[in-house]
Amino acid sequence: MLNWLESRTGFVSMTKEFLTEDVPGGASYWYVFGSATLFAMIVQIVTGIFLTFFYAPSAATAWESTRAIYLNPFTHFLLSVHYWGASAMIALVFLHLLQVLIFGAYKSPRELQWIVGVLLLLVTLVLGLTGYLLPWDMDAYFASQVSLNIAGLPPGGSILQDIAQGGGTMGTATINRFFGLHVWLMPAALVGLVGAHLAIFRHNGSAGPVVDDPRKLKSGRFWPDQMFMDGAASFIVFIVIIFLALFLPPFLDAKADPTNSQFVPYPAWYFLSLFGLLGLVPPEFKLGGLVISTELLSTIVVPTIFLLVVLAIPWLDRSTTRSFSSRRGILWGATLVIAIIVGLSIFAQVQTMAKQAAAPPSPSEASILAATPPPAEPAAGTAAAPANANGAKVFSTNCSSCHGATGQGMPGAFPPLAKNDVVIGDPNKVIGIVDGGLHGSITVNGSTYNGTMPPWKGTLSNADIADVITYIRASFGNSASAVTEKQVAGYKP
Amino acid sequence: MSNHGAADASTGVQRNILTAHDEPEDTPEEISRRTFMANATLTIGGIIGVVLAIPIVGSLIPEGGGSKGSWSALTAAELTQLEAATSKPVKMTFTLKYTDGYLPEQAAEEYVWGIKIDEAKFKAARPDIYETPGGNVKDYQAYNMGFVIFSPICPHLGCRFNWSDGANKFLCPCHGSQYTFDGTHVAGPAPRGLDPLPFREQTGTADVTWIQYKPNVPDRIVISYQA
Repeated sequence: MLNWLESRTGFVSMTKEFLTEDVPGGASYWYVFGSATLFAMIVQIVTGIFLTFFYAPSAATAWESTRAIYLNPFTHFLLSVHYWGASAMIALVFLHLLQVLIFGAYKSPRELQWIVGVLLLLVTLVLGLTGYLLPWDMDAYFASQVSLNIAGLPPGGSILQDIAQGGGTMGTATINRFFGLHVWLMPAALVGLVGAHLAIFRHNGSAGPVVDDPRKLKSGRFWPDQMFMDGAASFIVFIVIIFLALFLPPFLDAKADPTNSQFVPYPAWYFLSLFGLLGLVPPEFKLGGLVISTELLSTIVVPTIFLLVVLAIPWLDRSTTRSFSSRRGILWGATLVIAIIVGLSIFAQVQTMAKQAAAPPSPSEASILAATPPPAEPAAGTAAAPANANGAKVFSTNCSSCHGATGQGMPGAFPPLAKNDVVIGDPNKVIGIVDGGLHGSITVNGSTYNGTMPPWKGTLSNADIADVITYIRASFGNSASAVTEKQVAGYKP
Repeated sequence: MSNHGAADASTGVQRNILTAHDEPEDTPEEISRRTFMANATLTIGGIIGVVLAIPIVGSLIPEGGGSKGSWSALTAAELTQLEAATSKPVKMTFTLKYTDGYLPEQAAEEYVWGIKIDEAKFKAARPDIYETPGGNVKDYQAYNMGFVIFSPICPHLGCRFNWSDGANKFLCPCHGSQYTFDGTHVAGPAPRGLDPLPFREQTGTADVTWIQYKPNVPDRIVISYQA
């Protein structure tokens, strides 16, 4: 049977050839990072392919289809694995890079393997960046807006930004383009580069441990010795991904709303250091009479120089041997850079958390997933109308600009309606406020608000007022009794 | 067989890696024919690549505009509020009709900031809107009916700013840009003052429309506009 296959395809000898790679100095757990990264990539490709069965890239469907993915336990699990698989892959790429750096395995003749590896890191980061936008929720929108605006900063960058956005502003074209990048172009580049990376690896062989005379090393076997260690490491990676996917699934924010001025975007952890650099450097400094903007510096210039330095490491490291003692400069330099990256990340994380604590809380995921999807455009009105569609409509037209689409209010100006004791208290008091408006300062749940609320009596009909009060008393986590048109009509100040 | 490398070790002659199959006994005609075929194959590949690249690159360059707004009417209440305004800006919500790419026209809640101000005063405070090259917006008048309408988008990096009664300024929460009542940029990283929006009188009410300007450049460059 195998002979039959071999005589027609050569597959058997090809497999043998592939598995009988010499491992200088024997198999080692130090070598598992490359194959573990490859494993994470395969997990990403498999889960990603099946997620495209459920995701629809357009501004009208991206968030809605993502929400549906969250609502089905199987697709939700696939998405969670894809989410954590991305983090795992990026972490493993960094670890692999670090391992090669520590052992000086980038030295001649493996310079190109190092360069292809750094390109793979870049492609992986672009995959992370483009995937971040696809759910089209608040965080996806505002975090991507930051990166797209950064792309537009350097001279000539604005055409790049327009091409990535598919127009002057973010919109449905942006989703299509990011989708194309995320599911086709970048994965294709990734697979091609991985092929080149492995081909170069096989051409030069494994670099092996750091010893004085590599010729004295006893060779170990790739199969099954190294393969077992690779498999064991991949299995650990798999268990960690599954564990995180089950117990810490990603979070879906409310649908992207460009009019929200309160939302604090947070980047993925692997971009925190860049975010920290942007936040740490003052936006401008004065040199004599000259005002220099540091934005370009901290978002484009510094990261580009850093990348070029990393690419040039095989040439910057001039030592003739791979021994640690002859490479102190590069090792200490790398330690310093890693310390800076970690420091910037922690700084950015603390800063982001402080900003988020100051901003009004986002609606809970449970309420986003439980909420009836926003009614479709009138033309598509085939679905049964929600119980209080008019109240929701009146609210979104007249009230949400101040009190927020999810009743979160605006600090200092307009009080939240969610968990507001007045809103869920005596209906007559609520009718009085909506009818007559409010000015001056009020205190809700310990915070003071100074905004002015216009009187709505006359502008809105009694029926609209009743519906909208019923709506706010039964939304945003509130559950108080409905108010009728009769109650509103009969209300006397 | 000689080696297939770039250089023939025995003669030291540099050879084209693509025609390196030449043997010493090959006739000049054979070598010339092979060179021709190698070059022709590469040319065919190049032509295919260029022909495909033209539509691909062409398709990626946007035709201009992402989402576009059209004239939207303010409600009577909003206009009344604006007319009653004094020293404070009025945040006016309206239903913005806009198109986003290939999607059908949609409506969304939007808001703008309106101020009531004397024209001479405004002209003195905001020469950038009237004088700076690229500052004035040629398609419409920034000042109309005694009002100026500002886009709620910070000219720095596109965040939404808020009016603070305490500071008596517009404050942007993202990077701390500050603007006075008339939209003059006074602090923070923004490169220009607040951007005006078109506003026109209609019987009994008024229309506003939506323009997005390029963020973070000193000049006012329209990136999406449809009246």
